[in-house]
Amino acid sequence: MSTVLLLNLLWQIGTLALVTLGLAIVFGKLRIMNMAHGEFVMLGAYAPVITAGFGLPGWLQLPVCLITVALVAFVLERAIIRHLYGRMFDSLLATWGISILLREAAELVFGRGYQSVSPPIPGTLHLLGTDYPAYRVAAMALIALGFAALAWWNARSKVATRIRAMTGNPALAQAIGINTGRLSAASFVFGCTTAGLAGLLLAPTVRIEPMMGLDYLVRSFFALVTGGLGSLEGLGIGATLIAGTQSVLGALVNQTSGYLAVLTLSILFLWLKPDGIRPYSR
Amino acid sequence: MASVLIPVSLLLGALLLVPQALGEFTAYQLGLYLIYGIAAQGIGFLWGKTGILPLGQALFFGVAAYATGMALRDGGGLVLHLGLAAVVLAAIALAAFGLAALIFRGRADSGPYFSLITLALVMIAEQVAGTTTSLTGGFNGFSGYDSLAGLDPFGGFYYVIVAATAAVTLLLLTLNRLPANLIARAVLDNEPRLQLLGYPTHAIKGLAFTVSALLAALAGGLFASHQGIVTPDATGFALSAQLVILTAVGGRFHVLGPLVGAVAIGWASDSLRDSFPYWELLLACLFILVVLKAPGGLAELVERGWRRIIPARPAVLPPATEAPAPRAPQDPGALAFEDVRLQIGVVRILNGVTFETPAAGIVSVIGPNGAGKTSALNTITGTLRTTGGAIRLGTQRIDNRPPHKALASGIGRKLQVPSVFFSMSVAENLTIAMMAGRARWSDVLCRSPFGWRSGGLTRVLEHAAVPLAAELSRPAGTLPQGHRQFLEFAMTAAAEPPVLLLDEPCAGLSPEETALMTDLVRAYQAATGALVIMIEHDMSIVEAISDRVLVLHQGQVLAFDSYAAVSADPAVQAVYAGGTK
Repeated sequence: MSTVLLLNLLWQIGTLALVTLGLAIVFGKLRIMNMAHGEFVMLGAYAPVITAGFGLPGWLQLPVCLITVALVAFVLERAIIRHLYGRMFDSLLATWGISILLREAAELVFGRGYQSVSPPIPGTLHLLGTDYPAYRVAAMALIALGFAALAWWNARSKVATRIRAMTGNPALAQAIGINTGRLSAASFVFGCTTAGLAGLLLAPTVRIEPMMGLDYLVRSFFALVTGGLGSLEGLGIGATLIAGTQSVLGALVNQTSGYLAVLTLSILFLWLKPDGIRPYSR
Repeated sequence: MASVLIPVSLLLGALLLVPQALGEFTAYQLGLYLIYGIAAQGIGFLWGKTGILPLGQALFFGVAAYATGMALRDGGGLVLHLGLAAVVLAAIALAAFGLAALIFRGRADSGPYFSLITLALVMIAEQVAGTTTSLTGGFNGFSGYDSLAGLDPFGGFYYVIVAATAAVTLLLLTLNRLPANLIARAVLDNEPRLQLLGYPTHAIKGLAFTVSALLAALAGGLFASHQGIVTPDATGFALSAQLVILTAVGGRFHVLGPLVGAVAIGWASDSLRDSFPYWELLLACLFILVVLKAPGGLAELVERGWRRIIPARPAVLPPATEAPAPRAPQDPGALAFEDVRLQIGVVRILNGVTFETPAAGIVSVIGPNGAGKTSALNTITGTLRTTGGAIRLGTQRIDNRPPHKALASGIGRKLQVPSVFFSMSVAENLTIAMMAGRARWSDVLCRSPFGWRSGGLTRVLEHAAVPLAAELSRPAGTLPQGHRQFLEFAMTAAAEPPVLLLDEPCAGLSPEETALMTDLVRAYQAATGALVIMIEHDMSIVEAISDRVLVLHQGQVLAFDSYAAVSADPAVQAVYAGGTK
């Protein structure tokens, strides 16, 4: 396998893992089947477009991304999502409505056509005997660091346990002193914001358009289903399986067969092993 | 039949007037909305009754549309085309049934996952349709064929669409009056209970999915002839989503709801899309609002208003008749456990349970909490899978079979917490129970099962002290706990199983009700000569009713004898007095 293919594979797995992280929280922990997850990626990706449109300096991309995505997520959680905990089918439908809402809103604000932005770190880096875009290398390093920090924090924090207690039995969780309204809103906003961050990170490498979210939604859902909803480990396995299948087949055969293989794999998992490779355990 | 014929003739009359009253172009547009409406009616049927949400209906719509386009391009007469349509519909029906029945087999909870599978399937179809250019014309679409029978889409073809709409509406309204409707709704209401009544729920879900797939395919065929071009969008994700939105906004619980949704939203979209840029936003908000606040959609709002003016009349039921005999063997023999083991995770629940009951009589099962009493009954019905040993009924091995097969071998089950169909009336609950183990597939399409009665049911219903006869039209969800216990007992007794498993039938009952329940159990046993196995904590009941008493403790048989012998057993006394064994 050529080095470029290997680096591309790592890039695909890393970015998919980051996109999936938010869904792992919102679907895996809060049990909201968030069909609008991809639209938060899309919103995050528009942050550089916003800063460029207002002529703002590049370093403001990050705060602009965090603020817009978090604000939208917070408003939606308080207005709509909070009614849907424990109603998985309704959550699927309502978030579907939200995804249309966000797409149409983006179309009205930014227009239907696609836009592109240039990476903040230009040029290439000589790595493992090949030239690879420096921006992607830096982004992959950031993602790896972020996940390492998250794993370290996750092993020590009780927040995940509290969220499980809340979704398992909200009344009892309130009785033992968990502020369920605040915890669920915070988890939802955090999950959506990581999706927005993933969008910002992906922005210089993709075409930014209102419809771009669907592809990320599908792949992150299937990464979760194959990996399992319970753990960071499952998330990593799922992202590797989905992104790996798609990029290896995409490179060796063609894009269509990679896409079809991912869909087929997901159907088999949904049917025969709906709890994934690493089922809910810890 | 008036409740079916009046709405259908009104619908037909109104639609037939459109070309004269509003012009042929309006009729052409309305034709397209009606085509989407037919597909949405299929979604409403599946989703509103069984609770399964199909996210990929465009799969069937698109496949049928491409097939229609290809058949029309290759020429041939109308007869050949209709013959081909029948073949395509049969193939789609088979594929849909196989898919759903396979996926739902062996589980009662894969609703959301099934939706995602249909979503993935439609995405595959869209991708294949877009890339197999030689077959489908790729993204440019498949075109260059005549419409069906050469009818003009702006003229005569409208009447074909109207005929299809009226026929589908007639079919669905008729189905609503039949026992099949009750069974489909029962899947959503309480699937485990339906399985214990002997209904193969995976096949029922498969059939409901088949109906919805066929309607989507019919709509797809009409679409191809109406539009003259089929693109990958016709088998795509976006159309699937649009159909679900039409169904939800129109109202999934009513036959006409999805049709109303399709026409209203289609018309509003076409007239507002260009002049009002926020229309799509508004539609998304409307959809979210329906999901959150009005799950019944427009149709339910209209119906609620209508019922305020004209209250619903109770349906006229066919006269009471003797039900056909149960198919289960009437004398299956003794129930035997042979070293049965059950372990879930690291918890060992049954540790080698061995006993053999007599072929008839009342056996009480007692034991402290956690002894494995309910789990033992669950292994008999197949609700729990054993990890060792064998369970036999007569000569037949019955362990580890799916729960819906228990009744066919003669085993009826009443659960610990009363499990009935909470959204249905008492009479509807009893109709489903009366059909259990007796109805054939053809019976669920006649109205006669609504009048079926059996000795097992009559003895309970006509007992002067049982409260159910006066509550037949009351929803089971509003019954007090005690009445639910009697309802579930009546439902289990209605099937007249030769082996009756009762899990604490007297829990939550007053002393009078407890005496009544023990009378009913005894009367059932005396009339049918059945084997009754009953878990009970109240020793006075156990003493009064039991031929034999089975004592379980920590997943093993501690004693199995007459009440007198068991109560004198020092080991049993030690367990119940709290001493050490």
